Amino acid sequence: MSASAVFVLDLKGKVFTEYFKELEEESIQDNFVVVYELLDELMDFGFPQTTDSKILQEYITQKGNKLEVAKTKVPTTVTNAVSWRSEGIKYKKNEVFIDVIESINVLVNANGSVMSSDIVGSIKLKTMLSGMPELRLGLNDRMLFALTGRDKGKSVAMEDVKFHQCVRLSRFESDRTISFIPPDGESELMSYRINTHVKPLIWIESVIEKFSHSRVEIMVKAKGQFKKQSVANNVEIHVPVPSDADSPKFKASTGHAKYVPEKNLVVWSIKSFPGGKEFLMRAHFGLPSVENHELEGRPPITVKFEIPYFTVSGIQVRYMKIIEKSGYQALPWVRYITQSGDYQLRTNS
Amino acid sequence: MPYFGSEEMVKELKRALSNPNVQADRLRYKNYITKVIRYMTQGLDVSALFMDMVKASATVDIAQKKLVYLYMCTYASDKPDLALLAINTLRKDCADPNPMVRGLALRNMCNFRMPGMTEYIEQPIVAGLRDKASYVRRVAVLGCAKMHSLQPNTDIDGTIVNELYALLRDPDPVVVVNCLRALEEILKDEGGVVINKPIAHHLLNRMKDLDSWAQSEVLTFLLRYRPRSDDELFDILSLLDSFLQSAHAHVAVATLRLFLQLASAHPAVQADALLRTSAPLLATCGAASRELRFAGLCHVQQVMRSQPGLFGTHYKRFFCGYSEPTYIKFRKMEILVELVNDENVALVLEELRSYCTDVSPELAQAAIAAIGRIARTYSEKCLDILTGLLALKQDHITSAVIQTFRDLVWFCPQSTAAVCQTVEACVDSPQDSEGKQALLWLLGEHGDQISSAPYVMEGYIDGLKTELSSAVKMELLTASVKMFLCRPRILRGGNVEESDVCVRDRALLCYRLLQRGVEETRKVVTGPKSDPSMSVLTGRQEEPISQWASTFNTLGPLSGRGLCLQTAVISAADQPSSSAEKELLPDDTEEEISLSLGPPLSHETFEKMWLDLEILHRQTLGFPRPRTAPDTLQAALQLVKIQTLAFTPGDTVPWKAYIYTRSTGTLILAELLQGDQQAPGSDESLVVSVKQQPVNQHAIRGFVSILKSVLQTLNVDSS
Repeated sequence: MSASAVFVLDLKGKVFTEYFKELEEESIQDNFVVVYELLDELMDFGFPQTTDSKILQEYITQKGNKLEVAKTKVPTTVTNAVSWRSEGIKYKKNEVFIDVIESINVLVNANGSVMSSDIVGSIKLKTMLSGMPELRLGLNDRMLFALTGRDKGKSVAMEDVKFHQCVRLSRFESDRTISFIPPDGESELMSYRINTHVKPLIWIESVIEKFSHSRVEIMVKAKGQFKKQSVANNVEIHVPVPSDADSPKFKASTGHAKYVPEKNLVVWSIKSFPGGKEFLMRAHFGLPSVENHELEGRPPITVKFEIPYFTVSGIQVRYMKIIEKSGYQALPWVRYITQSGDYQLRTNS
Repeated sequence: MPYFGSEEMVKELKRALSNPNVQADRLRYKNYITKVIRYMTQGLDVSALFMDMVKASATVDIAQKKLVYLYMCTYASDKPDLALLAINTLRKDCADPNPMVRGLALRNMCNFRMPGMTEYIEQPIVAGLRDKASYVRRVAVLGCAKMHSLQPNTDIDGTIVNELYALLRDPDPVVVVNCLRALEEILKDEGGVVINKPIAHHLLNRMKDLDSWAQSEVLTFLLRYRPRSDDELFDILSLLDSFLQSAHAHVAVATLRLFLQLASAHPAVQADALLRTSAPLLATCGAASRELRFAGLCHVQQVMRSQPGLFGTHYKRFFCGYSEPTYIKFRKMEILVELVNDENVALVLEELRSYCTDVSPELAQAAIAAIGRIARTYSEKCLDILTGLLALKQDHITSAVIQTFRDLVWFCPQSTAAVCQTVEACVDSPQDSEGKQALLWLLGEHGDQISSAPYVMEGYIDGLKTELSSAVKMELLTASVKMFLCRPRILRGGNVEESDVCVRDRALLCYRLLQRGVEETRKVVTGPKSDPSMSVLTGRQEEPISQWASTFNTLGPLSGRGLCLQTAVISAADQPSSSAEKELLPDDTEEEISLSLGPPLSHETFEKMWLDLEILHRQTLGFPRPRTAPDTLQAALQLVKIQTLAFTPGDTVPWKAYIYTRSTGTLILAELLQGDQQAPGSDESLVVSVKQQPVNQHAIRGFVSILKSVLQTLNVDSS
């Protein structure tokens, strides 16, 4: 059970995070009552009991509202056949929000060749639907197209697909239909990985020249290698500098550069970066005449960005059908985002 | 340990808790209770408040109840008499109409650790097992296990065990799994819960209702079940099929383990299962949690012991990220070394090359060693990289490279010439003792190919006084004697006034050996220069899955792997056949054959037997006779327990040698022949003819392969 043992810690971390947003010493101290309650329900006699934070949240409510009306009922979910959704949920307006989020992991070595790249995608739901709705999601999944004999338009081959426990796996296995009763509120419906060679969306060329005892000169060129119609938002390019560097000077063709001495980084941020454009940033640092004897590693340049209305893999939600006994009309909303994951470019210096 | 000055605080809290005004104000009351718990957690002794806290448990606020219960559990063992009073309140709560309260009370009552508890909790537990709320049943089931652990030496209560077995059919999945857990605890001495056919099938059918935790646990329990027939086996496997690709890596891996064990008689099924689980395993290797990533890597390594090719195409997944901790990087490098093939070798080497200059010396040295491992197959490219690293003139890198060279020369002698050239060109020498030893070994062993060797060695001898490590001194002594043998130069004797006993003994040994004469010394000091049979390691054969399946998905692969590897190395080293021979003799069983010397044969006996016996095996070896001195040949053969009877001197044509040996009850006689006109193919290469009494084909094969490897080694050395 080696994997499981580690999983306990990981899971506790996750549950706590959902309760306190951020897990740190202070938040545990502040919320020790809730922590005790959670541990009590998570484990009994060393055995994991209820580990789904959605369900836990139903009977361990936050401190504030607990004093008003103490819940005196075991949530039905604890005994329900559908353990992830309680009965009797009601909304005035029935809506589903679907977020398709893809993060790109890229590793480029110092010579500029892409060592590895993959896409990790996830489909997140925010469900605001009454009753026990039955949902069906259609994607442009290549396996499905091959199965039905249609092969029109773009399709995507997904690997390593994982579903939330609500998805009926047997149906997916037989006809690739993703059908499920969704958990209420926010949840991750599925995640997948695509192991194809993707062109790095933001390409960085860098020259870092270090003149011992005098200065470091950095030149970074960033190029948007995506469609002209798309725009990357909140681009941050993190360029490492030696720890003993001082007196920074910057010149950037767009955005602005900032020296973060505690992390030994230059952060060049560009609010919006249109596809096909190229920008340049130069930085100049002084070095002390007495050299630092400690060896320093060569951290890679990392890039953060977010491109809305766009998926690298080309995955699309083709339909979302919502069926409920009472027959209400519900609206699905779809949003696509591509963002940087582990995006590293090694440097030569 | 109670803090100093806590008494005042406790008094103040006591006053507050018993104040009716406070008790009337729910918010204030609860705040005081929270304060008590906070002090308790910080290690203050607040047990004096026990009675006041018990009173506070009579509330409708569940959170407050929980806090009070927590307090009671903590101090029950210190105040058993007061705790008995609390039990009454708890038992009353066990009959509360709210199932949540019933469950809570029962759970906490079972958590009291004090003698005599059993008589109070038994009745509520039995009632709880039949409660209509599953929440209470869950608690009650585990309560049975807790009750048993309170008095471990009493007899097992048969009725409770039966009740638990019956509850395995409960509609609530958590109750089912808790039953398994409780039974496992209670029946520990009898080998745990029994999984018979109906239970196994029931659990299998319930699998998809369980959460991922329970799934992986049930899968582990199912390992105990043996299907009766193949039909049943395949039914089970097809039920479990979808779990192989579960979203949760731990379920996938647990399923894989069950597959491997159940299908141990069906290798094709096992292979298929491994193939299908490779995706979740790979995903774990890239998991966000480092610990999970490490566990994934360890399991990948284990799978690779049988299926080295499985992850070949995914080698890029094992490239290290900059911020990954060292323990993950080490594992990744080990995996990369195993995954190298003709297509990816360039990229892998480039990647490893970039780790060699890492800031962490340990990592850099491990990367260099990894390149050394790859060099056993792709020597040229790796030697280029290693030579390039020497130019960096970093102490730890130089030392690691020299050590890698030593291992490389030992494992694949064909790279000796190139290594010697590099070592000669390398100007600066390693500074740490490990590196020094490696360099000295190289100089001693292959001094004849390194022209500057004596000068370097002299430098070391001059610096002997300041040398601290005795291991280096010993290596220096041996190396200088070896050096003396291959390039007679005057070397000053070792320092006999040495404080370390080992060093002094070694020095005396060398001194006396040299007194006996050069030839005597040579016999003792020069061992084999390399061990080609070790090259089996590079093309490590695939292990059967059963070898590791039992430890799969346990802590074994995370901790005890070093041990496994060690035994693997030893068993591989024991096999005298090299991979090249395996191609020639495909039916060669892996069984080890051992040769022994036995009593010497006289010339007459040998001649008589040779004439009497038929030739059982004749083989053209494909290479000429080694051009070494007769003594060397004799010594080398002696080393592998082959006795030389006679051979024709020098360059006479045809050249012949008669040798014999014994092996597991048979006597093997052989003739080596080269350049005879009558024997076909003997003008260019050696022909060996073997006679034997009594006949044992296996022994002959073993003998021929050993003979071949010895002669080849000699050939390499002399060329």
